[in-house]
Amino acid sequence: MSEAIISIKNLHKYFGENEVLKGIDLEIQQGEVVVIIGPSGSGKSTFLRTMNLLEEPTMGVVTFEGVDITDKKNDIFKMREKMGMVFQQFNLFPNMSVLDNITLSPIKTKGLSKAEAEDKARDLLVKVGLPDKADAYPQSLSGGQQQRIAIARGLAMDPDVLLFDEPTSALDPEMVGEVLAVMQDLAKSGMTMVIVTHEMGFAREVADRVIFMDGGVIVEQGSPVEVFEETKEDRTKDFLSKVL
Amino acid sequence: MNFSFLPKYWPYFNYGAVVTLIVALCVVILGSILGVLIAFAQRSKFRPLVWLAKIYVWIFRGTPMVVQIMIAFAMMHISAPNFRIGILTVDMTRLIPGIIIIGMNSGAYVSETVRAGINAVPKGQLEAAYSLGIRPREAMRYVVMPQAIKNILPALGNEFVTIVKDSSLLSTIGVMELWNGATTVASTTYITKEPLLFAAAYYLLMTSVLTLAIQAYEKKLNKGGKTGV
Repeated sequence: MSEAIISIKNLHKYFGENEVLKGIDLEIQQGEVVVIIGPSGSGKSTFLRTMNLLEEPTMGVVTFEGVDITDKKNDIFKMREKMGMVFQQFNLFPNMSVLDNITLSPIKTKGLSKAEAEDKARDLLVKVGLPDKADAYPQSLSGGQQQRIAIARGLAMDPDVLLFDEPTSALDPEMVGEVLAVMQDLAKSGMTMVIVTHEMGFAREVADRVIFMDGGVIVEQGSPVEVFEETKEDRTKDFLSKVL
Repeated sequence: MNFSFLPKYWPYFNYGAVVTLIVALCVVILGSILGVLIAFAQRSKFRPLVWLAKIYVWIFRGTPMVVQIMIAFAMMHISAPNFRIGILTVDMTRLIPGIIIIGMNSGAYVSETVRAGINAVPKGQLEAAYSLGIRPREAMRYVVMPQAIKNILPALGNEFVTIVKDSSLLSTIGVMELWNGATTVASTTYITKEPLLFAAAYYLLMTSVLTLAIQAYEKKLNKGGKTGV
């Protein structure tokens, strides 16, 4: 096995006095699809957000492609170009068209020409099934469409890993499927993905590894079969009995 | 009611109103620039700058504008030629300190508007930009500010309306604007009430037209969709 793409060691995070992450170690391999599940307040979103330093760890080390990104000497913005993120609330830029949303960062950070960036953006729009929405504005799109655009925006940077923070939690039920389908395609294409979600069916089907978090620690992890069917820990059993 | 002064003294009101509008326009521009600078100073990581901005806002919001105007006129000695507008002669040695001090006062208020406008942009917008590798300066420029300006512009329009009214305080240092024109007419003709009432109506007309224009603009903005989630 080659070196892990993301490696996390002894990660702690405090919000004030409140310890949200209580010492987490994790390695994520190239091409792996890791799904993090757990009750709300378990720290799973915070944990995901430390991977691209949207949350700064209070203690511990996060290494991405061999670079310690918690070290202030390393340029986190340069590293973030290679780690896309998809948010629960989509966070598309409402002041820009879909095309501008997707091309902003490739043009500003990677120095792509407008034409190159737009060609690529149109290809990605085909990939997420929205080829005719290039000139639309986010507020005219449904939640499911916005989230697929957000995924295209992340992909436009050619990231080595994509982080998903509850990507379907803000969607109407009938739109969850279209977003999960795009994510499933991505997983099949070999993209490294870390996904925080409540979609257990999706986790079971797509994950290479499922991680169950509770109380700021990893309680149990393994293949979907190991976590869902051969569950070892009582806390995991208790959680699964409530959501399945 | 005795409006017999109108045929002869009509220009005092018209040209006075023009001066009032010129003052308001200059003040809004100056106030907007200062307001943005102060708002950014308050967001700075450099603590002394933050304190300086806070003290500035504290002083200008905590003292009466008429006091600020008279102190500014006493402190600023500006030499500039008078300028004539219609029948009125505007003394620039009075007008310029007046515009500067109301502009500085307005900047204190506008800074709060700008701050609120920036804060109203959802935090997720900045996070989304950061997660794409966009640096803070560019995230501010391309993502946050265009959305913040949409929040700020209507409030700036209201600030303009406020200044149209407050500029009447410049009469205390002898700037020939609408209110000064009205009191001059009153004392020249010995008609005590009507010139003042007429000026009041003139102010009301100006502020009403401006308010309607702002409301029409806001409606247009809202049609374009609300920003953020």
